[in-house]
Amino acid sequence: MSAPQLLGYPRSDGRWGFRNHILLLPLHQALCNTAREIENSVFSAVAVSHDWSGEIDSDFERIAKVFAGIANNPNNFSTIFLTIGTETETKIIERSRVLGATPLHVLSLSDSGSMAHLLTSAIALASQLKEAANKESRVLAPVSAIVLGLECGGSDAYSGITANPALGLASDRLVELGATSILGETMEILGSEHLLAARALNPAVGQQIIDLVARYERSINYEGIDIRGAQPSRGNIEGGLSTLEEKSLGAAKKAGSAPFTGVLEYADHPTAPGLYFMDTPGHDIEQLTGFAAAGVNIAVFTTGRGTPTGSTVIPTIKVATNTQMGSVLADLIDLNAGTIADGSQSLEEVGSLIFDKIIEVANGRQTKAELGAHHEFNLSRLYGSTL
Amino acid sequence: MSLPEILGFGHSGRGVGVRDHQLILPSVVCSTRVSRRIAAEVGAVTFAHQHGCGIIGIDVAGIDDFFVDLASHPNVGSVLIVSLGCETIQGNELCAKIARFNPSTQYIVIQESGGVEGAVAKGILLARVLASQFKPSRQRIEELVVGIDFSRQIADPRALVDALAKQGITCISADQIHGCAKNFSTLMAQKAQVILSFTSENQPPTGFALIPVINVASASPLHNAIMGEFDLKSDATSEEIAALILKVASGAKTISEANQSGEIVAPRAVRSV
Amino acid sequence: MRKVLFLSPLDNIAVCLSDIAAGEMISQEGREVTAIEHIPRGHKISIRGILKSEGVIKYGERMGHATTDIPVGAHVHTHNVLGDRLSTEQV
Repeated sequence: MSAPQLLGYPRSDGRWGFRNHILLLPLHQALCNTAREIENSVFSAVAVSHDWSGEIDSDFERIAKVFAGIANNPNNFSTIFLTIGTETETKIIERSRVLGATPLHVLSLSDSGSMAHLLTSAIALASQLKEAANKESRVLAPVSAIVLGLECGGSDAYSGITANPALGLASDRLVELGATSILGETMEILGSEHLLAARALNPAVGQQIIDLVARYERSINYEGIDIRGAQPSRGNIEGGLSTLEEKSLGAAKKAGSAPFTGVLEYADHPTAPGLYFMDTPGHDIEQLTGFAAAGVNIAVFTTGRGTPTGSTVIPTIKVATNTQMGSVLADLIDLNAGTIADGSQSLEEVGSLIFDKIIEVANGRQTKAELGAHHEFNLSRLYGSTL
Repeated sequence: MSLPEILGFGHSGRGVGVRDHQLILPSVVCSTRVSRRIAAEVGAVTFAHQHGCGIIGIDVAGIDDFFVDLASHPNVGSVLIVSLGCETIQGNELCAKIARFNPSTQYIVIQESGGVEGAVAKGILLARVLASQFKPSRQRIEELVVGIDFSRQIADPRALVDALAKQGITCISADQIHGCAKNFSTLMAQKAQVILSFTSENQPPTGFALIPVINVASASPLHNAIMGEFDLKSDATSEEIAALILKVASGAKTISEANQSGEIVAPRAVRSV
Repeated sequence: MRKVLFLSPLDNIAVCLSDIAAGEMISQEGREVTAIEHIPRGHKISIRGILKSEGVIKYGERMGHATTDIPVGAHVHTHNVLGDRLSTEQV
């Protein structure tokens, strides 16, 4: 199997970026609009919006980990933190510094003296960084540079037959070539976890997969909720999926048949190449945010119903599970896997197209989500702390 | 002494607004960008949130109710819901719930509009048609409810409320434990048309997209460092506060309103699935 | 063009690749099954009789159980199948 020509930005910590973003990361909700204004005036800057006001509650650890992690995603050339000027913010930034090599800059409202000054100095800094970023050029990268995120959303009955198994083939090939691939969405392996555990590199990893699903199941049952009222979602049901297990059996096919190297907590970094399972919510954007914080640098998102969403820092390739949706919603979709059900292409052919698309997008081709500036970000919370 | 009047927008059944915002409401995080593009084109208000899908239990009704509260708030003229199509909170159902309170409500569905560009084009057309039929008129001060955010303790809250009452201003309040962004959402649900915020000493002033927020500084080092971001200094008298409330209620912009600072926090009880 | 997809020899359902009308006979890959009701594209048709409480098998794996007896050629969906997991309800 020949390795494709892959071009990326080498980072000083050994990781690789496939984009060269200037990330604007406000650490308080009051500064999110300022971040968006900077994004609007500096090309190639991306801004994060969220609703956190610096609360230190049960979800703080999870939130701090996400901020620190996304600031350090290898797709960032540089990150500008917008802060109020508190100690809590300083701790998050310090934590981020330890995580990786992304150059971090901090602009605080209290030092600036006003929102207007903060905006002016942030625009000046972002423009300066942009010029420096433009001077960098891509160099030949090994396939191990790829840290792939596997995601599905708005699944239908075709997901498990077309796009997911085709993505599984592409993921298997990348893993075999030394890349890293991460499957998420704990709810969506519920019912198929025994199949994944059987593929673990060793029994300990297999047990971790089983335990993680059991922990998830407890956290939902604890709420006294019959999840079957909400899952599969209404869109899934209209698409023909009847049970959570059916959805899971199809969803797990994204991870192909490679052995599982390890299990990751939400937003944790993989330490060696291979296939991983990460504990994430099924919520598409909370999952993509967890991937971004974990250092994922490219993602493939299979969808049956069609969705425009993407990640703030990860180029996200949208693959349609059925030709009907893929042609009607063409401005959301990068590649159609519906041809497998149509009988016009084989699973192997589409798997190979997805593989090529991953390389092409890694090398700089913009995805539909990027072209449309769909780059969402969410803080995942476990404890209802926004109540 | 005759009571002052304000310049507002009368909405039968849901009170008097001191602003006439058009709300572009994404029913799910996935339609954030489409909503922003429509809002930017027609000069409407929108916001990013992470709700509408992956929610279970009491949150399903809770988020629904929160959206209904936002859309039927008197500061909102008309509403365009931007739905993706496959989310838990369905655009057509949400639209029917909101329309019981605010009849100037419509929805679009991205998955039924041929994608992003189709949805944006359709949304802009609909939003323009919906855009305000409402004209400001003189309204009795009794129609005004001011929500006070007591995120920090002030010397004599009772005296302030009494002094405002003398000017004919009705007050409701949210207390200190939740932080101002959550308090704003609580006060919104109680239909406050103007918010007076005494934010914590270590928190910046912030706003709420649909409701003008008047920020009163404390004497803390942070607040001193960014004094220009506050509408009133820490030593503002009740009379000064009342005078500014009346000005803002009649259309004067607050500083956070001009900055468009502050995101909207929706209450959530259960984790996302 | 194929009308249905048989995913695994162990399965008691097939996936419809287009809308199937009531009474329509599907003859494919040496199997024959007649739809007893309308089944939308992407949804499942029973290719064997499934008794109440028996497992519904797709991809060769159990995806839930029948909540009523399901005859051959029926629409298999939320009205006659329930997942086994994450329920507060005892079956």
